[in-house]
Amino acid sequence: MFGYYLDLAFRNLKRNPGLTALMIGAVALGIAVCVMTLTMYRAMSGNPIWWKNDVLFSVTMDFWDPQQPYWDKKPELAPEQLTYRDAMAVYESDIPKHKVIMHKAVGILSVDGSSVKPERTVTRVTTKDFFAMFDVPFQYGGTWTDAADTGPEPVMVLSRKMNDRLFGGENSVGRRIRWDDNEFRIVGVRDNWMPLPTFYDVNNGSLEEPEDVYIPFGWNVALELPSAGNTNGWKPEDIQTYQDFLSSESVWIQMWVELPDDSARGKFQAFLDNYAREQKRAGRYQRPLNNRLTKVDQWLVDNNVVSNDNRVLVGLAFAFLAVCLLNTVGLLLAKFLNNAPMTGVRRALGASRRQVFFQHLVEVGVISSIGALLGLALGGLMLMGLRALYTVDPTDAGGTQALAHVDMTSVATALLLAFFATIAAGLYPAWRIGRIPPASYLKAQ
Amino acid sequence: MTAWNLRPIASALWRNRTGAILVAFQIAIGLAVLVNAVYVVKQRVEKIARPTGMDTANMIWVASAGFAKDYDYDASWREDLATLRELPDVKAASLFSNIPLSGGGSSNGFQPRPGEVTPKETVQGNNYDVDEQAIAALGVKLVAGRPFEVHEIQPPSEAFEMSPQAIVTQAFAKEMFPNDPNPLGKTFYDGLSKPITIVGIMEHMHGAWVGWDKLDHVVLFPRIKDGPNAVYLVRAEPGRRDAVMRDIEARLGDSNPGRLLRWVRPFDYFIHQSYLDDRNMAIFLSSVTSALLAITALGIFGLATFNVSTRIRQIGTRRAVGARRMDIVRHFLVENWMITTAGIVAGCGFALAIGYWISIKYELPRLDLYYLVGGVLTIWLIGLFSALQPARRASTISPAVATRTV
Repeated sequence: MFGYYLDLAFRNLKRNPGLTALMIGAVALGIAVCVMTLTMYRAMSGNPIWWKNDVLFSVTMDFWDPQQPYWDKKPELAPEQLTYRDAMAVYESDIPKHKVIMHKAVGILSVDGSSVKPERTVTRVTTKDFFAMFDVPFQYGGTWTDAADTGPEPVMVLSRKMNDRLFGGENSVGRRIRWDDNEFRIVGVRDNWMPLPTFYDVNNGSLEEPEDVYIPFGWNVALELPSAGNTNGWKPEDIQTYQDFLSSESVWIQMWVELPDDSARGKFQAFLDNYAREQKRAGRYQRPLNNRLTKVDQWLVDNNVVSNDNRVLVGLAFAFLAVCLLNTVGLLLAKFLNNAPMTGVRRALGASRRQVFFQHLVEVGVISSIGALLGLALGGLMLMGLRALYTVDPTDAGGTQALAHVDMTSVATALLLAFFATIAAGLYPAWRIGRIPPASYLKAQ
Repeated sequence: MTAWNLRPIASALWRNRTGAILVAFQIAIGLAVLVNAVYVVKQRVEKIARPTGMDTANMIWVASAGFAKDYDYDASWREDLATLRELPDVKAASLFSNIPLSGGGSSNGFQPRPGEVTPKETVQGNNYDVDEQAIAALGVKLVAGRPFEVHEIQPPSEAFEMSPQAIVTQAFAKEMFPNDPNPLGKTFYDGLSKPITIVGIMEHMHGAWVGWDKLDHVVLFPRIKDGPNAVYLVRAEPGRRDAVMRDIEARLGDSNPGRLLRWVRPFDYFIHQSYLDDRNMAIFLSSVTSALLAITALGIFGLATFNVSTRIRQIGTRRAVGARRMDIVRHFLVENWMITTAGIVAGCGFALAIGYWISIKYELPRLDLYYLVGGVLTIWLIGLFSALQPARRASTISPAVATRTV
């Protein structure tokens, strides 16, 4: 029976090609715009480490200006980064399973005797747990030791991309490399890793690719590295030396911890609060006690990673899909009613309402499938156009390269959503046509 | 019977209302999206088109990064600036701490008097360390005072240190000294209460972050940027920018093995990047809104066509009993107008609701009613044009159809 309905559906589609084309076009366009917008939305706001959402926490502490909150618009939040002295003090705690303090820096990477030109690379100055905590995969080797962080030892982890460029992709563990003219030894090559957005450091463009180079945290003091990200302060301070900077009230360090269960979380929260109370006695932390452990999903919301533009775009996508679906319902209705006399004959010859309903639903299915295929192709074209809009300099590995890494699941989600919405849109017309009394169409014949 | 036959048209419509309701919904959504999209796009276009105060079309930025252990920053920037200033077609070249309109920079709070002040008294400014050719290299207009002099330029400082003189924008001076018509020569203070004297006032200049409402609060300090990275601003003679860029690459590319010439870029590159999201939002909104209106128009067209094709015999009958072609066209256009208007009435409600939501999200003034009026007129026109062809076709149906069976 299904085969027969399919055959009928194709015949009916051919009967008025103009109307059919209009319908398929509307479905395809609706699906394409939805696929594009939702893909973009997901790329910008998805939780890239959802499987660890309940155990990963960003650490923020409110020691800001007693006169005014860090953020006027969200006065309940603490600054999104820590001061060096607070970060070092809190890092001492052994309650978390994993803990990381870090910041971004920039250095010139070069290999002695290599034909590859020295290159300015964005570098993450971090502690050893970074990779285990964020589930960063390794191609070769692995992370460094605790001693390397405090030493600091001249060890480095490269990205696979950078390893491909500098060493032709071979296992470079143990090779020598220079970072700002200091010799380092490679201990690991991280495999391709593309957390979207880069949740662990949201104050520097959340759509950027992760860093290509990782070095132990102790190097910031050893090399007097400034942060390549935002540094914010509230207190006028006379900062003359790097040591002044380290003990200042400027925030520039990001901190994350992994707390496996509620009891660890409670303990760590108490540890933070105790630390803040101690600092209060020393004259710091003048604001009400506000030490926060924030999960990744909440963190993305707090930090406005989902921009208002994005929310408007998603609203627009749904408005668009709604118009396309209303359109499809209207056109399907028109088309089915156009064929009502024939349906009347079929009903008179013994087809049940149920059968008529299913026959028309098959027709809707054919239209949605063709529309979905076309829509997918069209959506792909639109995404390419979108990428072109965002590419400022094709050679520049910047910001929205991220859009190049569209993952298939988000495309599939959008596609399925649109497909089933179209089928749902066909339910009413198919039901309506089944309820037509056959007699009125037979009389005139 | 009125001249327009409104009652029979309305009752005919009511008997077949499903399609009409669907189309009215589309129109409602279309109107709401159109009005708000136009409003947002206009805001973005105006934001991008703001004057920068600078001669952006002829400006070039050059970035150099020293990395070798034995790299001599001091000798290097002197040599680079001398080379740049000697190039043909170069008007001026200056060493800058940051690039305006690039989304990166430094801002600080300044105050009109020394000592502790309330946050309200603090005036925020985008600050840049520059040298004596900065004013010429930026192409900004001084409305009072003078550019920096060579002897005022301070040596590099690793600390966030201000200089004793500054050139500020009018907007900054006005906020710092609201009651003073001529703030030239007056003194303001940094957060550590160090005095700073205004030696020049710029008519207008943009600072670092295009989304910041203090974008035109700019403070220039006479100081050499700290090393080992340097950013040079080069201003070319009108129309010579690209030629000068090639010269710079050739001359500075390999001039010093201890550093990397990171890039030579026109100013437009940074401005374009800063406004990229605004521009793309405008493009995206306009194209999706146009597509949405096109689909709505198709919906109206489809419904009208269907209505005509199911009433061929009735139309023939009307024609046979004396209706003119004009009457048939009018019937369908009026019917369509009723549907469109029903959609518009609902759409006005949607449009205002969405407009309210957007004004809260973006902190914009409430949607102007002119937009709504414009949107309503546009939708009426779209509705009219979409139904025109089916209505015309209906009027060509011959009265003889009425006498035939099928």
